[in-house]
Amino acid sequence: MKKVFHVMYDDDEKLLVAARELVGKGIHVNEVFSPFPIHGIDPVIGIKRTRLAITSFMYAMTGLTIAVSFMWYTMISDWPMNIGGKPSFSLLENLPAFIPVTFEFSVLCAAHGMVITYLLRNGTLPGMPATNPDPRTTDNMFVMEITTDSNSMNAEELETAIKNTALFELSIKEIK
Amino acid sequence: MQRESAIREPLILGHKTYKDITDDVVGPIMGPAPLGWKIMITISSIIAIYGIGSILYLIGTGVGVWGLNKTVGWAWDITNFVWWVGIGHAGTLISAVLLLFRQKWRMAINRSAEAMTIFAVIMAAVFPGIHMGRIWLAYYVFPLPNQFGSIWVNFNSPLLWDVFAISTYFSVSLVFWYVGLIPDFATIRDRMVKPLPKKIYGILSFGWSGRAKHWNRFEELSLVLAGIATPLVFSVHSIVSMDFATSVVPGWHTTIFPPYFVSGAVFSGFAMVQTLLLVMRKAYKLEDYIHIKHVEYMNIVMIVTGSIVGVAYLTELFISWYSGVEYESYAFINRFSGPYSIAYWTMMTCNVISPQLFWFKKIRRSFVATFIISIVVNIGMWFERYVIIVTSLHRDYLPSSWGEFIPTATDVGIFIGTLGIFLTLFLTFTRFFPVLALNELKTILKSSGESYRNKQVK
Amino acid sequence: MANNKKYWSGLDELDGTEAFKEIQAKEFQEQIPVDQFLADERHSSTTTGRRDFLKFMGFSLTAATLAACETPVIKSIPYTNKPAEITPGVANYYASTYYDGMDYSNVLVKTREGRPIFIKGNTSTGIGAGKVNSRVIGSVMSLYDKARLDGPTQNGNSTTWDDLDNAMSAAVSGTGRTVVLSNTIVSPSTVKAIEALGAEHVQYDAISYSALRMAQADAFGVNAVPSYHFSKAEVIVSIAADFLNSWLSSTLYAPDYALLRGPERGKQSKHFQFESAMTMTGTNADVRTMIKPSEEGKVAAGLLAALKGATVSNLDAGVIKSINAAAKSLNSSKGKSLVVAGSNDLATQTIVAAINQQLGNYGSTLDLERPSMAYRGDDASVSDLVKDMNSGKISTLITYGCNPSYDLPNADAFNTGLAKVKTSVCMNGVADETAVRSTFVAPDHHYLESWNDLSLNSGRIDLVQPTIEPIFNTRAAQESFLNWSSSENSDWYTFLRRQYNASYTSDAMYSDSDWNSAIHDGTMTGNDSPESPEYTAAIDTTQAERKVASVKGGAFELVTYVKATAGSGNHAANPILQETPDPVSKVTWDNYVTMSKSDMDSMGLNTYIAQEDMGSVVKVTVNGKSVELPAFMQPGQKPGTLGIALGYGRGSNGENIGQAAFQTGEQGEHLTHASGLPMPIGANAYPLTSTSEGYTIYANYDVSIEATGAEYPLACTQIHNTYMGRESVVKETSFDSYLAEAGKKKGEASWNKAHRLNVHEDTNHDGVIDARDKKNTSAFDLWHSHPVEEVGHRWGMTIDLTTCTGCSACVTACNIENNVSVVGKDEVLRHRDMHWIRIDRYYASDFSLEKGDEEGVGVIDSYGRMEDPSENPQTVHMPMMCQHCNHAPCETVCPVAATTHSNEGLNQMTYNRCIGTRYCANNCPYKVRRFNWFNYKGYKKFEHVNPAHDSLARLILNPDVTVRARGVMEKCSMCVQRIQSGKLDAKKSGTPILDGQIETACAESCPSNAIKFGDLNDSGSEVRTISENNRAYHALEEIGVKPNVFYMTKVRNS
Repeated sequence: MKKVFHVMYDDDEKLLVAARELVGKGIHVNEVFSPFPIHGIDPVIGIKRTRLAITSFMYAMTGLTIAVSFMWYTMISDWPMNIGGKPSFSLLENLPAFIPVTFEFSVLCAAHGMVITYLLRNGTLPGMPATNPDPRTTDNMFVMEITTDSNSMNAEELETAIKNTALFELSIKEIK
Repeated sequence: MQRESAIREPLILGHKTYKDITDDVVGPIMGPAPLGWKIMITISSIIAIYGIGSILYLIGTGVGVWGLNKTVGWAWDITNFVWWVGIGHAGTLISAVLLLFRQKWRMAINRSAEAMTIFAVIMAAVFPGIHMGRIWLAYYVFPLPNQFGSIWVNFNSPLLWDVFAISTYFSVSLVFWYVGLIPDFATIRDRMVKPLPKKIYGILSFGWSGRAKHWNRFEELSLVLAGIATPLVFSVHSIVSMDFATSVVPGWHTTIFPPYFVSGAVFSGFAMVQTLLLVMRKAYKLEDYIHIKHVEYMNIVMIVTGSIVGVAYLTELFISWYSGVEYESYAFINRFSGPYSIAYWTMMTCNVISPQLFWFKKIRRSFVATFIISIVVNIGMWFERYVIIVTSLHRDYLPSSWGEFIPTATDVGIFIGTLGIFLTLFLTFTRFFPVLALNELKTILKSSGESYRNKQVK
Repeated sequence: MANNKKYWSGLDELDGTEAFKEIQAKEFQEQIPVDQFLADERHSSTTTGRRDFLKFMGFSLTAATLAACETPVIKSIPYTNKPAEITPGVANYYASTYYDGMDYSNVLVKTREGRPIFIKGNTSTGIGAGKVNSRVIGSVMSLYDKARLDGPTQNGNSTTWDDLDNAMSAAVSGTGRTVVLSNTIVSPSTVKAIEALGAEHVQYDAISYSALRMAQADAFGVNAVPSYHFSKAEVIVSIAADFLNSWLSSTLYAPDYALLRGPERGKQSKHFQFESAMTMTGTNADVRTMIKPSEEGKVAAGLLAALKGATVSNLDAGVIKSINAAAKSLNSSKGKSLVVAGSNDLATQTIVAAINQQLGNYGSTLDLERPSMAYRGDDASVSDLVKDMNSGKISTLITYGCNPSYDLPNADAFNTGLAKVKTSVCMNGVADETAVRSTFVAPDHHYLESWNDLSLNSGRIDLVQPTIEPIFNTRAAQESFLNWSSSENSDWYTFLRRQYNASYTSDAMYSDSDWNSAIHDGTMTGNDSPESPEYTAAIDTTQAERKVASVKGGAFELVTYVKATAGSGNHAANPILQETPDPVSKVTWDNYVTMSKSDMDSMGLNTYIAQEDMGSVVKVTVNGKSVELPAFMQPGQKPGTLGIALGYGRGSNGENIGQAAFQTGEQGEHLTHASGLPMPIGANAYPLTSTSEGYTIYANYDVSIEATGAEYPLACTQIHNTYMGRESVVKETSFDSYLAEAGKKKGEASWNKAHRLNVHEDTNHDGVIDARDKKNTSAFDLWHSHPVEEVGHRWGMTIDLTTCTGCSACVTACNIENNVSVVGKDEVLRHRDMHWIRIDRYYASDFSLEKGDEEGVGVIDSYGRMEDPSENPQTVHMPMMCQHCNHAPCETVCPVAATTHSNEGLNQMTYNRCIGTRYCANNCPYKVRRFNWFNYKGYKKFEHVNPAHDSLARLILNPDVTVRARGVMEKCSMCVQRIQSGKLDAKKSGTPILDGQIETACAESCPSNAIKFGDLNDSGSEVRTISENNRAYHALEEIGVKPNVFYMTKVRNS
């Protein structure tokens, strides 16, 4: 038995101010729904920096290794050919010709790997149901989600605290 | 919340609110299709069908239906390919490079520019396919283990580099574009009332809900993608240019090609963006979002790249003389004085002279002038590729095999056809997709929106 | 059920009347006759149930589907009892002899599974070098011509041999004169067979040399064409004699001529040519002088005078100058020189005979002891015959081995006469001009199907043997003669054998060892009866000189000539020869008027021929008769003269002489006249010739020409004439400058300097780094490349530009050996000829960049002027095929590795891997790669030209070579199929491959041995030695592609 407060603001700055205020009172803001990224909200509601970039680097490295080793295997190890008298003796000698493909393939892996991770991590995949509490949050409204169970305060205290902010609309749901 | 100097021209005119932005963009999508749109898509799809017909005739009969011959083995096919790839460079450049440089004016144009990029690259990909003698064996270019045992592809071949470059560029541009579209699809989804479209946009939007954590990842993703897309943009046309630069044909064998091709690509890309946007902003009443300031910014980019191209032309000429190689020097003398000199001078006028007009503020800030010049530049850039490919080939080393190239109806038909297909795709995009990057625009409304600006001034 | 209401279908139901119940009882108003149906016996007897039916359905559907995807099955039937000598996959060679009244060659016929597919020279036992030319090589194609007649015909309807024989025996034995009209018969047995007929025998030659013969008769009492020995002639003066291409037995002269051309022996023969049109021989002359045909006699007279020390007059100063030069060198090599004239004018030939006598050449460079048996045709008696025919004196005319209705100068008169002849029979294999006008046609075998014995010179008999069963219901002409005669033996083979062994019977067919060895060699010694000419008898030339001096020329004069590919007209239907470019003009599939640039400019005619730059049609009129042909700008053509090739305009009345003989349009369809007749290729120039003293002169001294304003496309394989001063493509020098530096090491002589590139290091150690610091191209290499030397074979070629005459025999040979597609005029017009080897023909230009500097002409203008050849240019013929570069630019760029380098130095093409991007062709500096633009063997556009289209002509295809599919690249493979079989032979015999054991088609067919093939890694091989010669160079050496083909600097003795 918990209560979910969906506090709606009509401006990102108002929400930001409100969030700061509430967090200042030790209230934990679960989630913020907004039509565009609100800069500066993350630290306030305690969202850590994402590690997507690191994954993309790892994907790139994988791509690079695959590309180079594959080209070495086909052109030098498995079936070396005399193509225009060019060397097919060692990876080093052939490397210049391999650079373009190596680069392209690394980029390919980095980009796609990263995007796939992103989608999976978000749980945003084709046909997934929308979870924003109010359709207006993809237009011009900004919603803060606060629940009783993640807060020490009881419902009434929370409600008063929220009411003090420059909110536009407040909806309260009870969930078993 | 960042602020910017008050004297800067606002990027979003009119006293817009977040709501207005949404309505301006989503409105047309929800409303019925305008008559003009219906007419245009009919025309363009008829042309597209004609083009597809020509392609089928080509595949059915043989590459001989083109005007090619033993001396000139590539002409319109590869010219069109390079031309389209070039055009396909603006989009990713705008959204990637300009994002890295934090150029806010990109946000009004990047969505449609990227769409154009993707369609252009699709058009480009058509030509390497159909120019093959045996397109049904096109899969040979992929390093697949096959029934012939250990026959692998030749990683020394620039053409193979092309295969990787183009496919990478296409798919990366596509995901980059789509990732940006997801939140906007969500916006449309939540506006839509008709059940079926709502369902479709629901699927397309991947259930995006605009959670703070997602936005946080979203921005990171955009940044990193932009970071890797930027070198990609430059690599792709560099590699395309290597098709020529690594050969022995006088007039192709030129170290200047990679930078020269890249700037040329950006040049033609922006020209095409101008051509399309200037029409779109009128048709979809986006004057407040895409206005003279954006056009001026793009024109400035065109002056720069156009001048780089001009310098490249002159450098080529100088080096051909300075190298003292008789074939090289003859190849270039033949360019401007030989049988195809008209093509050369068309190229020179369109690509070197015309963009210089943008030094005049009046012209730079005139929609009409910009539109005309953008068309002229598109023509000029087509001729640039034609000059490089045909005039170099038709008179190379042995005078005995000096020849000529005369295009056939099929050559023309297929080129026009790809224009038709391209337009059809783009029109479909403008009808059903958010033509502006909503979520991005909203982020700059306060910093560069007119109304908020005035508040600050007060 | 929620609804408990009840609805009635009517009151009856409500009332429940009986009537209603009755109706309700049966659902259907009428009984369905199921019982009757099932009662039917036939149904009960069938076993096909529903399931079966469905099974059948399913099966047939699947079957239909499968059948649809199935590729057509080509059945190959194995031998039930295999002929002993045939091993499938192994070629057999048979010695035979080619003679068509003009060309004479000892040949080896290559047969595969019993079908002839290739003709090569019989170099071991043939006359002289035993070489062949394009026409002989191409002759195998005519064997598979589906236009050949299948059985005898009477008035165009087929008949039986018996009916024909009865009719003919009656006609021959009946009253009235019977005449056999034939080309010159050099076969002793055939002559006997004709004699058996007891009829008059008139011989004529399509190209007559009777004046030459008569001159010899008058002077030395031998009425025959002398035997010429160009191998001894250090100085050659030719007055309009195209002796390398068509004059007399040119197949014998070309190799001999080449023997004295190579400068390595410290000497080089000197060749003066006086002519009007640019002939192939003219392009090879050291000193070529342009004269008008009416001046030929004057030149001869002038030469005689000059030799006697008198001064020459009544000619242009330039001509006189070269006459004196010629006389000087002639005098310096008496007895080792040769003067020949092409004219069929008695006076001219008399003077030439006098010159040769004066020089003491008779008995050394030409002789009459064993004169040529060829060209004994007699113009006078033919014209008499025509007269008699017209006056109805001839009752029976048998034409054999000739086509008088086409190639007689007075063909019209002949045709009207022929109509007056009661019984006429023609023995040609196809229904040609003469055949359709004759009562009967008794088709003769193709020479590859027949037995014969030929004797060109006394003391030697060459044999013709069949290499295939007669394809059609044809019969040896000789057998016909015997049948129609009263002789008891009518079997030609027996008759032939009995000429050499009177007691021959069929039991001795294989047991006669002499005969067997003769058949093996293709030749035997005949009874030798030398003539005894009077070389010393004084020749009175005053009459002749007066006559030649009196010859007047008009504003325009016409010369007719014989093309290397068309011959006298008998090759008109040969697609392979039609598509072999003319050695001089490089035009295919056509006939045209050659004109000088100045004349064309003054007439406002188009001088630049290309895909859309058409030739301007001109009308050439000669006393009433006129032809309309496109004009072609020919450098070296004497202004005021026109040249038209003989042998075109065949089938002008739609005679079915073969589908390749007619013009094809853009879709490959046959073009037709308004009358519905197919358009022949070119026009017949025989009627334009003139006569003097009863001799046919193949020129006309006064013709009129006018522009018709019409345009006509000419398919030219080379549209650019000069080499633009690109010395690294063509290197040439004069003999003197060669001799001056003959001793220098390779790459040092001024005429073959190794190409050096500037480097930024002090290579010449003069303390400064400047433009003088250079290194050889070999010093530059980007990478550590694959080893080339000492790694097994490295196949390579050397091509001597000095001895290459441009005859194009290699082109024809390559086309046949490698199944090179014939693509027809329209495709050649689009610059899409498929030839693997081509001969680049470059004319010298008056202009050069250096000259431009001196004259202060800008570079651009200079280049412009360098494109124009000089009025009378020196010519270089450069055979160009895949150079098999060790650093091949084509290989690197192929995305799918379809073209790679073999470990034997070959640049090999993997057809089934090729996807046809054409990148390799673009990147080939030599532009030798050819792309299959269409499905040539199946696409309708090529049905009239490409042999692969009909089931008969297809038999010429070489089974060892793939017929390339549409969309793949192809190019010279250095006859890899021959290399492989050569290696197999060596393997079987367990010996290393000997030099010269493997030969490519081009090298083997080259009359002058300019092209040589071998293993460059074999230190003893000829190619290796030549490649180290100081004349050897790589074309385009400086681009560093390291070819395996070497060219030899051209040396001219001028």
